Amino acid sequence: MLIDLRSFLIIFSLLGIIIAGSLTVYSVTSIDAFYFVRFLLITLISIILVSLFFNYVNLNRVLSAGWLLLVLNLALVLSVEIFGKEINGSKRWLDFGFLSLQPSEFMKISYALFVIQYLRFFNFKFNIFRSFLLLSILFLTAAPIIIQPDLGTGLIYILSGLMLLFICGMRRIYFILMGLSAILLSPVIYNFFLTDYQRGRIISWFSTNQSLSEKWNILQSEISIGSGGLFGDGFLNSKQNEFNFLPEADTDFIFSIFAEQFGYVGVVIVLFLLTVFVILSMIVVMQQKRLTTDMSPYYLGTYFTFIIGFSFLMNVLMVSGLIPVVGLPLPFFTKGGSSLLCFSIMLGLIFSSRGFLRG
Amino acid sequence: MDNRSFFRGRTIFLTFIFLALIVIVLFRFFYLQVINGDELKELREKNINTFEYVYPKRGRIISKDGFVLAEDRKIFSIAVNLNVKPNEQAIEKLISIFPNKIENQYVKDIVEKSIKTGNQEVVVSKLNQQELSKFLVRSNELEGFSVIENYERIYDPHPSIFHVLGHMGYLSERDKTYFKSRIDQYTPSLWRRVGKSGVERIYEEQLRGKHGKRFFLRNARGQKKVEIGKEDFIEGSDLNISINFNAQKKAYDLLNGRKGSIVVIDLRDFSIPVAVSAPSISANDLRDISSKEYQALLNDTKRPLFNRAFMGLYPPGSTIKPFFTIFALSNSYTNWQEQIYDDGFFRFAESGRVFNAWREGGHGLTNLNKALVESSNPFFMNLATRYEKDSFTDFLDSGSFGKRLCVDCWPHQFSPLISDQWKTKNFGSRLFRGDLVNMGVGQGYLSVTPLHLALISAMIAKKGDYEIPYLVQKEQDIQQLNFDLTEEDWKQLHESLTQVIYSRNGTGIRIQPGDMKLAGKTGTAQVKSINSKEEYDDLRENEEFRDHAMFIGFAPYDEPRYAISVVIENGEWGGSVAGPVARDVLLEVFNAD
Repeated sequence: MLIDLRSFLIIFSLLGIIIAGSLTVYSVTSIDAFYFVRFLLITLISIILVSLFFNYVNLNRVLSAGWLLLVLNLALVLSVEIFGKEINGSKRWLDFGFLSLQPSEFMKISYALFVIQYLRFFNFKFNIFRSFLLLSILFLTAAPIIIQPDLGTGLIYILSGLMLLFICGMRRIYFILMGLSAILLSPVIYNFFLTDYQRGRIISWFSTNQSLSEKWNILQSEISIGSGGLFGDGFLNSKQNEFNFLPEADTDFIFSIFAEQFGYVGVVIVLFLLTVFVILSMIVVMQQKRLTTDMSPYYLGTYFTFIIGFSFLMNVLMVSGLIPVVGLPLPFFTKGGSSLLCFSIMLGLIFSSRGFLRG
Repeated sequence: MDNRSFFRGRTIFLTFIFLALIVIVLFRFFYLQVINGDELKELREKNINTFEYVYPKRGRIISKDGFVLAEDRKIFSIAVNLNVKPNEQAIEKLISIFPNKIENQYVKDIVEKSIKTGNQEVVVSKLNQQELSKFLVRSNELEGFSVIENYERIYDPHPSIFHVLGHMGYLSERDKTYFKSRIDQYTPSLWRRVGKSGVERIYEEQLRGKHGKRFFLRNARGQKKVEIGKEDFIEGSDLNISINFNAQKKAYDLLNGRKGSIVVIDLRDFSIPVAVSAPSISANDLRDISSKEYQALLNDTKRPLFNRAFMGLYPPGSTIKPFFTIFALSNSYTNWQEQIYDDGFFRFAESGRVFNAWREGGHGLTNLNKALVESSNPFFMNLATRYEKDSFTDFLDSGSFGKRLCVDCWPHQFSPLISDQWKTKNFGSRLFRGDLVNMGVGQGYLSVTPLHLALISAMIAKKGDYEIPYLVQKEQDIQQLNFDLTEEDWKQLHESLTQVIYSRNGTGIRIQPGDMKLAGKTGTAQVKSINSKEEYDDLRENEEFRDHAMFIGFAPYDEPRYAISVVIENGEWGGSVAGPVARDVLLEVFNAD
């Protein structure tokens, strides 16, 4: 299979992001150089293997198992309550010995596969019943994640699902109505449905009082980012990380450590690569010459591309203090197995959707 | 509508949102990294760079005869090293080195506490040389523990010196207020232990020195990581105090367990070579005292923590007579010729009250000289009936009643200045003539501290001129008694006080000072007001109600160099109990000259 320029650029930008991510993960954990090489290899191999797997498997086959995958995934999410291990007061992880998985991460994929499978029967025509059905399933499946409690993953899941329905063509009026009711209901949700921990995160974002520990985290994150300056302090020179001033430096706040080491220039390069990846993927998807009656590959490709793009931007907006912090991993900047596996699957599905289109 | 173009529209919409967010993020990072970069970097440096103070070595306190009375001694302790958490083997190893001092659970608790607070908590304190080397030899097996150095205040253990030196203790709110008004730019947060009393407190600023600093990089939990530099401390200055330690010890030992006080003033410069308050303790005992033991000391009926020399108020008894002689002569209330008949009683015409004198049968015909030498109460009571209240108060005022009596004694008590206002304030009525009669023989409202008694003795020895006594630093202004006495009168007064010791009838004949040339006045101060000798015999069954034995004196009488006061509580006899003590103390003081 010949690789054209666009595909090359897409793969090149992805590779750039993955290398930047691996370097940063290594600098945060910094065990030894061998560890870095091993980590990079594992990341690349797992991405390639998973991508190839999904590229190889007929997308139709995957899609026809959509509802089953959603049910299985939901069962895993629920089983966390029983078998899961607790970290930071919330049970999210299933421990498989060699790898801990967070089943809720995969709900974004399962739900998408289910929705596409369902809508395919109706040629992606929405009516009131289908809209309500899909929305209800989205909110109902989000409930156990939020209860875990993992408000961040739950919210991201809901937003992802809504984006998918938006891409698939659900009528605009639903989104407007949902937006309005979310604003109207937010005080009720804040007072009755959130835990103290979650409220603390929200309060800290609006408060100017620096002594709140949540605000402190964001301040430390901004200090890390700002200390990088234009060109950064250099690879492996993050003092904020060395002296443990930045909490969760290896997960949620990893981009701040990246910014401290590589400066504004590094940030611009990574964001540029991300933009190249997203825009080129979109162009590839939309400029498919051959019209097909089945739109599912378009929807899937677009959906996963934007999931990666927006996940990245949301995380960066959080660590730079523009939106409240909820636990959201940065794509390819994490040593967390679930996140890596999840994004690998997404990439595989993106690639397979294009292969599918190409016929 | 065609699915595809509909889909394209929505995709473009999302792409625009994506690009808009990219632009926002780029602006945000530009703001943080390029515009605010330096400021945030400074915050990061503040995060990481920190320092801790190194406590300075406090100055020594040295006696006039060259004894080091207080000094900081370096001590080595083993503390939890915050960089590494000690493991089970290291803890066991440590216990095997100090088997009798520590046990497993204790060490573990301290390790936990250290990690929690971020302080290097001490596991074993005050290592001796042998223990230190034992630890150092095995230090590679003792990861998680390290040796830290600091200072401990060591005092000469003799209890005589405690009240003068004072002691150190943890800084309290009251100390903060005290030092804030006395020390420029006082920063209480730097000091954990400060002088609580005595010269340790007064001379805190000179003694304490200046902190050093140790700079290091630290992590967010405050655990020390890398030391990157240091600044040495400046030692506190040594303090030379006027105490003659040999005489001081001798004086304390002479009191031999009795409650009392001895103060000597050097008449050449008004420094204080001896200031003893007994009973006392060693300041070393207060260093690591438990609150229970401290409470026991506070509740001790002998009050060992109370500095009698500077704080104890005693009726001066007959020892005040020479002082009032100056007052009476300078106001011409009497002269050396006037005689009265002393039959052992004084009948106070104004109230019809009869005062019983100490000597049965009285002294017969008595003039001023005889009244001093044999200590006639009726003579001085009779004299006191002539005193004019206001000039009496003026005279007391010129003799430092109601004023500071020492430049650098702490704590310190005034002797009350008796006046109409004083009595009105305390007893609700003005002074009666009867009050003056009582005070004329050193009883009633009159009370003085032993330091003041010694100073009064000094005033007499120096013929009315005196200075405020001191332990370390002299104050330059000279005080003067309000008197108008001829040189003849002074000579006669000194002569009478010499006869107290050397004449056959003198109350101090038992003192036998040899060739020291001692002049003085004995006194016996009533603890309870009584009317007859029989009443006293009943009273003295209870030791607490026995009279105080008092003595003031100076020597040599022809060229006075030292003035002394001795107060022995419930000692009963000024001449035979307090006098000989004064003699022996002065002998020791003269030895040093």
